[in-house]
Amino acid sequence: MTDAVSTATRPGRPAISGVVRRLPEYLMIWVPLLFSAAHLVSFSLWTIWISFTPSTLVPVSGWVGLRNYTAVMASRNWQIAFDNLLLFGSAFVLLSLVTGLVLAILLDQRIRGENVLRSIFLYPLAVSFVVTGTVWSWLLNPGIGIQKLVHDLGWTSFRFDWLVNRDMAIWTIVIAAIWQSSGFAMALFLAGLRSVDADIIKAAQIDGAGPIRIYRRVILPTLWPITITVVVVQLQFAISAFDLVRALTNGGPGIATQLPALVVYDLMFQRGLLGRGAAAAVLMLLILLAVLLPYAAWRYFRRATHA
Amino acid sequence: MRDRTFAPSRILIYLVVSLIAAAYLAPLAVVVLNSLRTNEEIAQASMIGWPKQWAWSNYAAAWSGFCVAETCAGIRPYMLNSALVTIPATIISTMLGAIAGYAVSLWRFRGDSWIYGIVTLGLFLPQQMRLLPWTIVLRDIGLINTLAGLVLIHTIQGLSFTTLFCRNYYVAIPHELIRAARIDGAGFFRIFWRIILPLSSPILIVTVIWQFTHIWNEFLYGVTFTTGQQQPVTAALIALSAAIADIPQHGVQSAAVIIAALPTLLIYLLGGRYFVRGLTAGAVK
Amino acid sequence: MPITTTRRRLLAGSVAALALPAFARAQGAVKPRLTAISQWSAGSDGAAITALGKKFEEKGGIWQHSPVPGFTTEMMNKLRAQIIAGDPPACSQLKGPEIAAWSKIAPTVNLDAVVASAGYEKVVAPDLARLHKPGGKWIALPLQIYSTNMLFLSKRAMDKAKADKIPVTWADFNDLAEKMKAGGITYPIANGGTRPDDGQKFEASFAGISPASYRAAIMDLDKKALEGPEIKAAFAQVRKIADWMDPNVGAQPYATNLKRFVDGDMGMMIMGGWAQGVLRNAGFKFDDFMIAPGPSDNTKPVFLLNADAFIFWQRSEPDLQAGQTLMAQLVMDPAIQTMYSQITGSIPVRTDVDLSGAGWSDGQRRTASALKDAVANNQAVLSLAHNMAQENGLTAAMIDVITEYVKNKTITPEQAVTRLAEAVEGAR
Repeated sequence: MTDAVSTATRPGRPAISGVVRRLPEYLMIWVPLLFSAAHLVSFSLWTIWISFTPSTLVPVSGWVGLRNYTAVMASRNWQIAFDNLLLFGSAFVLLSLVTGLVLAILLDQRIRGENVLRSIFLYPLAVSFVVTGTVWSWLLNPGIGIQKLVHDLGWTSFRFDWLVNRDMAIWTIVIAAIWQSSGFAMALFLAGLRSVDADIIKAAQIDGAGPIRIYRRVILPTLWPITITVVVVQLQFAISAFDLVRALTNGGPGIATQLPALVVYDLMFQRGLLGRGAAAAVLMLLILLAVLLPYAAWRYFRRATHA
Repeated sequence: MRDRTFAPSRILIYLVVSLIAAAYLAPLAVVVLNSLRTNEEIAQASMIGWPKQWAWSNYAAAWSGFCVAETCAGIRPYMLNSALVTIPATIISTMLGAIAGYAVSLWRFRGDSWIYGIVTLGLFLPQQMRLLPWTIVLRDIGLINTLAGLVLIHTIQGLSFTTLFCRNYYVAIPHELIRAARIDGAGFFRIFWRIILPLSSPILIVTVIWQFTHIWNEFLYGVTFTTGQQQPVTAALIALSAAIADIPQHGVQSAAVIIAALPTLLIYLLGGRYFVRGLTAGAVK
Repeated sequence: MPITTTRRRLLAGSVAALALPAFARAQGAVKPRLTAISQWSAGSDGAAITALGKKFEEKGGIWQHSPVPGFTTEMMNKLRAQIIAGDPPACSQLKGPEIAAWSKIAPTVNLDAVVASAGYEKVVAPDLARLHKPGGKWIALPLQIYSTNMLFLSKRAMDKAKADKIPVTWADFNDLAEKMKAGGITYPIANGGTRPDDGQKFEASFAGISPASYRAAIMDLDKKALEGPEIKAAFAQVRKIADWMDPNVGAQPYATNLKRFVDGDMGMMIMGGWAQGVLRNAGFKFDDFMIAPGPSDNTKPVFLLNADAFIFWQRSEPDLQAGQTLMAQLVMDPAIQTMYSQITGSIPVRTDVDLSGAGWSDGQRRTASALKDAVANNQAVLSLAHNMAQENGLTAAMIDVITEYVKNKTITPEQAVTRLAEAVEGAR
């Protein structure tokens, strides 16, 4: 819907004098962008290089082949982290989509106090990951948090001990992450709902369609592109949720909630195994590419069919 | 479905919305209540509870009292440090992102989509991975242990987000507008200044909110690339969380959390309406 | 100091370091200045380093301490960044085998002359001294000592269990825990659930069962000892301890349970001496609890050594060099060590400090005499959980296995032994 501009004004090759005259604008456009792109490319290449070296506390040159990769992939930590990423990544992205959509639809019902409610759903975005992790580690800890509160109120058989349960602990991270980030999904979806053409809805109403039918057939299909954006943004969130996990479970109980970002940081800086940490980082980038490439292909395909 | 009625379904909607809102507010409520309980009271009871006596002194201690090693000035000087990094980095990365987004969406240069693609990939490059390369870069340009170095990092890294969102917004601007201006002889900057910028406030608010909260809440670079008195507010917060040889100071810690979060909370409260409006106006494509 | 110092130049510098004149020479002419990095920012740690800084200033020095709050990892990130930038601090907090590891990446100061003139070597436990002089030269100085396996007993819980004898062996300990359980205490053990906390349960069990086998397996990584019967017995003991703990503790620190411990709702805690300072700062009285060395099956005290230290990085500035000499002298000074330990609840590194004075607690006196006994019987070993026995990479790999074992009751001691041996193999 936006790519009509791909045919936008494209200046022809300017003459030499034109180049000089337009030097300031070239500098303003290209210098920041090139710096940004250069830092990403060079930092990635640097990490790939380090992953093949025997670096420990500081980067050193040398060549160890794939040894860092085999060591990382053979470690229990990484295997658990990899499984967790699949579970956490998909559960978090899916559930925050649903939460965000439900919140947006509810807010879109012309309810009173919309401003207040919207702020309530958005404010967690303003809080730092460390704070979110710490506060949720209080609330979810069965000994001092919600479970204790309910016990003190008299319902002593109540159990909510996911945080200390190996199999369920990863879901506490999902809960905290959704609490923090679903507001963004909500804002995007709300934006999408608000930009649906009112005439289309009116036409459907005249045709006798009920509200649920209108949502399913008319409104939700238009949210498709937004959904993709939400997925991309939430995916980015899932990857950077490092501080949150560190403060909430720190990978525990045991090593049950390890995630690749934790393993990377731990290997690189806590364990002083820079080469292995870099190998884990490269593996993480590969996972990411496996997710992003289909998205890029989809965009390309969409653009091609629209053109 | 968008008309106002008082059917049972509407009562249900209000009920559901209030329940969810309560769940979203619960963590904040716990922190606010704890910020008004003494450390001892929390240690001897539970993390969730109503204050027995209102310990307003927690706020005084958090603001200007508690010690980080030999500096006993509370969170105040660290708030200033964070502001000195966050404000310039937010402004610069937003402006550069707006110009870049404008260039990539409305001017189109050779190779722009490649550059743009790489820059947006930057959203996904984990922060931990960039720590050592940044160390080397800052060393080579002599900006280690300076606030300018931090501003540089956050500007370059922030460009990924600001460029992405501004580009998506500007893409929706009818290019006839630009073409007409060009025919009138307006150049790149003139068009940006006269036509684009006045249209940009919704998206600029989105990027400012986003950048400000991210930079304000950052910890890893903030402690690695500063020294002693320049540390950001997150460092002071971490100093308050329980160390191994320390009794938990949950009361003062909660008060400090509230104070440290005030700037970002205010930004969301004041800007929340524009946030959604900015996204509605086209940032979502 | 040039900002662009490269790795090669740093290495060259470490060679040149050997040829540098004795660093004490620079003292006197300039006002001593010290740049220091540590993670000690809060609580008694923060108070102690602040007091040390005051003493440094009283001696006419300029104290420039940069605390890095949080985990040790962030402190090391900061140190690494400074070293890469060619601008290491004059001294920084570092401990255990990491001293040797880090000394390979940047030149350090040879402290032999200052140490000799203070006669320090004679009064430091040999195992400890070894860690601070990799390659035979003193480059770092230990500051204070903790034992990680002190046994804390709640007076009220003892009353409930109708017991008054401090357990000496693990059998005694287990008996007492059962008695407490019978006396109505649901969770006789009050420990927390962090990674080092889980590690401490293991090392206390292992070293208490057989210090010799602990030394062989954990410190020397002897393959036979790593798969021996003692380590299996240690894992079995850890399981018992874990079963007596409140499963709800999660990853909370031990301090979360202090109130229940003092109230007698929990009975025992195996923790480092630092818990004394924490209990005191939390407003609990010394009459509320007893402290003794951790259980030892051969009845002689076993001491799991944990020592904080400063490493000294080579600097060319005369004022920093003078500051380093002054700092080294202060750290070794018995009066300073007394002041430091009395703030933090540790014991001095020097074995010749008199702890009979009013400023010392019973627990500290008992810790100090346990150290003396343990050293005499060769039962002072290095703590694994607090990064004294192995470099961080290996330690973390081993703690992975231990913490998983503590949290997952379906893992048998046999499996744990196999996994630990595999982890050691994989991390070497």
